[in-house]
This record gives sequence, structure tokens and C-alpha cells, in this order.
Amino acid sequence: MEKVKKKLSENILDKISMDFLRNQVLKNAYGNDDTVIAKLDPRILLVWYLFFAIVPWFVNDVVFLAGCFILVAATTILARVAGLVLVLFGLGVFSQTGYMFIVSLFFGGNWETIVPLLIMTLKVATVSLASVTVFSGLDPDRLSNGLMWYGCPERLSFSISYAYRMLPMLMEEFQNVLLSYRLRGNAPDSTTFGGKVKYLIYQIKVIVHAFYPLMLNTAKRSRTTVEALEIKGYRYAAVNKEVKKMKLSSLKVGYNDMMFAAISFLCVAVTIFTTTII
Amino acid sequence: MERKQAATQSQKLMVFVLTMSLYGLATLFTELIPKFQVGIVEFSVEYFLFIPLVLAMLFDPMSAALGAATGELVFSEIMLGQFGGLGELEKFITVTVGVYIAGRLVRNPKNGKMVGIAAISGVVIQQLMGTVVDILKVQLAVEDFEAVPGLPESVFVTEGFACLNDIVFSGILFCLLPTLFLVPRLYGKIEPLLGMQPRTEKTALGALGIKAVAGSIIAFGVAIGAEMLAENGMQLIDWEADWAESGTAMAAGMIVAAILAVIIIAVMKKRADSTNTAADV
Repeated sequence: MEKVKKKLSENILDKISMDFLRNQVLKNAYGNDDTVIAKLDPRILLVWYLFFAIVPWFVNDVVFLAGCFILVAATTILARVAGLVLVLFGLGVFSQTGYMFIVSLFFGGNWETIVPLLIMTLKVATVSLASVTVFSGLDPDRLSNGLMWYGCPERLSFSISYAYRMLPMLMEEFQNVLLSYRLRGNAPDSTTFGGKVKYLIYQIKVIVHAFYPLMLNTAKRSRTTVEALEIKGYRYAAVNKEVKKMKLSSLKVGYNDMMFAAISFLCVAVTIFTTTII
Repeated sequence: MERKQAATQSQKLMVFVLTMSLYGLATLFTELIPKFQVGIVEFSVEYFLFIPLVLAMLFDPMSAALGAATGELVFSEIMLGQFGGLGELEKFITVTVGVYIAGRLVRNPKNGKMVGIAAISGVVIQQLMGTVVDILKVQLAVEDFEAVPGLPESVFVTEGFACLNDIVFSGILFCLLPTLFLVPRLYGKIEPLLGMQPRTEKTALGALGIKAVAGSIIAFGVAIGAEMLAENGMQLIDWEADWAESGTAMAAGMIVAAILAVIIIAVMKKRADSTNTAADV
């Protein structure tokens, strides 16, 4: 038993290395631009998302919610979302409602408590799967273009594009700084319980210390970025209508987009129909 | 030369970009780091709020606050596909207000006591607002909230406990101590990198005025308002449910319309494909 436990924890620790995280995030951002979802028009997808992000909160009918859930689950599969994101999604749903159920048992809750919580879980799951589909299924540039078309502040779409491009670099740099701190430091022995606590404190300390050089480096880099943007007249272009038009001219609604919207509509209609029959 | 610490537009953008990327990176990690659970006490590295706090104390507070909130939204919510709609608005506003107030409180970054007070009050403000909104959210999402046995108490206890836990654990370990460590170290070093002068008592933006406080309260009101929308929506859907009961035919009609739309689009697509094979639809 001890052996299995050890092996399991080693296995998990192996998986959660910095490189693994970076790969998963990158895969999530750039790895699946050949899926059906990624090729859709971002504007249609955003409207679709708005529907599935808002409507489930207001409906308490289990059949309707289950129908919506199945639909968004199907689109999530179509979008081929990275595994890590799905694990996080599972954890998130459990921590929001499962945890609450366990606590409510202490306060004299019973199996009746599970029904409203099940409804809430379905709501949370539907809403977050819809967002997983849209935000990790879409290419970052297309997503930011779509947001811009709806008049979101230029800052936001700039942030999205910038974040996706800079993140790999930032992560690598952070890792390098962290590793150099580890090389220089002497980690406390972590075999005893006291040692483990010390080790944890040591780790946290290293992470906080690592942010010091990182902050200085990033400050330099963000100055370079902004200066480069200024040379291209970014702040004027951001508010210029002509520029916006040129930028957004690549967006086109095709038959596939209409098909996607129609099929989603069909699914919702079928669930409403089922609801009314039952 | 004693100018007020009013940064130029591009310097503000620099601060924004800096805070966004750093805090975004940090929140990405916290999203991925597993939580330690000792009994009911959850030792989560809830957030690295010290990063925007430090930057808000050294640079323009508003840009740093907005940058932090945007960074969290973009890096950890949108990139990981965890975007939660209405709930994110609340987080965005609470982070902005908390960081902004903390940044405005510090007039002289060399004054360690003030830095500590500002850091911890930033956390407390952010956490308290988040807790209030969280409790309201559950109350609105669950029908007959009071009637479900054990639910109201458990919500208050879990939320209240999480709040206290975050303030004590994350607040001290991850906000207060790192801020006290980093602010004096970065002061005077990081500002020249962005082409600015360090903040001193004379160049600070002035004490926290009524305007800022009022603005924060209004922002908090908006955060609650976003949740209150849910209540109105509930009535809207009640009305719709009414209609749905009497309208099986309507639903059937919707299905027929949807099927027709699917068929028509399929036919159109096929035609477009055959007439223009080169076209990339």
C-alpha cells in the first residue's frame, strides 16, 4: 500500500512539472486550431457563449439544464480541449458544490439537500463548459478580434494577444530564476514533520524572492514593448475607426457558422420540447 | 522639480502591461497549484496579491489595479477556459478596488508601517467584498434558499470561514510579508526602468479623498448589481416557464424551424461547394 502510494505521488509529481504546465497551456492556446470549433466565426461563438453562460443561471428545470449540459459537453469534445483544463474544470465544479454538500451534512442536511445542489452543479458545469469551449477552443487572435467587434475595449483584446504571446517566455524566465535560486540555496531536510513545514516555508520564500528579479526584468521588457507599440502609433490606432475596420475585415460568417448556430438552436428547441411534454 | 506623480499615458500603459503579465503569471500558477487541506482548514495559495500591491504602491495605482484585474481575467480565466461570466465581473471589480485603495494609502513607500497597513487593508477589502457577493450569489442561485435544511448555515459558515482563512493565511503569508520585503528593495530601482521618478511624500497623488471612496462604493454596488440581475431574470423565466407549459406546440414549431434551417444551410453549403470548389468556406 505504502509502495503504491509512493509511486502514485511520484507519478503525479512527474506530471506536474513546470514543463508539463507550459506545454499544456501552450497546447490549449495554440495546439487545436484545426478543430471544428476553432474554424467558426468568433462573433457567432460569442453570442452562443452568452446564451449558455446566462440562461442556465435562470432556469431551474433539470431536463432543460441536462440538455444544455449535453450540448456543451459535445462541443467541448469537438474543441479538443487540453486535459489539464478539464481536470481543473472538474475540480472547480466539485469545490463549488460538492464541498458545500459535505458541509451541509454537518448542519442536518440530508438527501433532500442534494437536489438543489445537483441543479446548481448542472448550472455551474454548463456555464463553465461553454466557456471552456469558446475560450480555449478559439485561437487567441480570433477571440480578441471577435471581442473587439462587439466593442470591447481595445485594452482587453490587446491584453489577450499579448498574454498568449508573452506567457511562454515569462514562464520560462520564472522557471530559470526559480532554478537558479534553488541551485544556490540549501533546501532543508524534509523527512520529519518539522522538516516538511520548514521545507514548505522555504519553497514559498524562494517563490517570493524569485519575483524580485522577475519584476525588474518584466519592467524593462514592458517598457520596450510599450515603446515599440508607440513607434507604431498604437494608442492612436487603438481608437481609430479606420484601423479597426481593417483589422476586423478578416471576420466572415460562413455556412459552417450558420450550421453550428442552427444545430445548437435545434438542440435547445428539442430540450424545451421535452420539458413541456414532461 | 517637484511634479505630482502623474504618469504620462505611455507610462501608464507600461505599468498596466507590467502588472498584467506578472500578476497573470502568478494567478496562472495558483490556479494550477494543488490545495493543501488539513481538515476543514484549507491552506491554499489563494493569490499572489502582493505583486499588484507592490506595484500599486510604487507606480500609478489605477493602472496597476486595472492591470492586475485584467491579468487575472486573461491569463487564468480566459486562457485556461475558466471564464465564469457574471462572477468574473465581481472579481474584477473587487481586485481593482482593493489594489487601488492600498496603492493610494501609501504616500511614502519608505514608511514600512504604512506599507504594511495598506497591504493588509487591500486584502481585507478585497476579501470582504468577495464574500458578501458570494453569499448573495448562492442565495439567488438556489431556489427556496431558506427552506433547504442545513443550507443557509453551511453557506454562511463555509464562506465566512473561507474569507477568514484567506485573510489570515494568504493575507499575512502572501501579501503582508512579501510586500514588506519587496517594496523597500524595489523602491528606487524599478522606477528608472520605466523612466519615472520614485514616489515620495511630495510627489504622491495626495490622500485618499472622498471621491475615491465613493467611486469604490459605487463599483461595489455594480458588482452586487450584476448578481441582483439574476433575481429579475428569475421572474422573467418564471413567466417564460408559464408560457412553455401552454406551448408544447410552440416548442414543436421551434424544432421544425430549426430542422428546416439546418437542411437549408446544408443544401446551400453543398451548392456553394460544388459551384466553387476552390472557395474556402
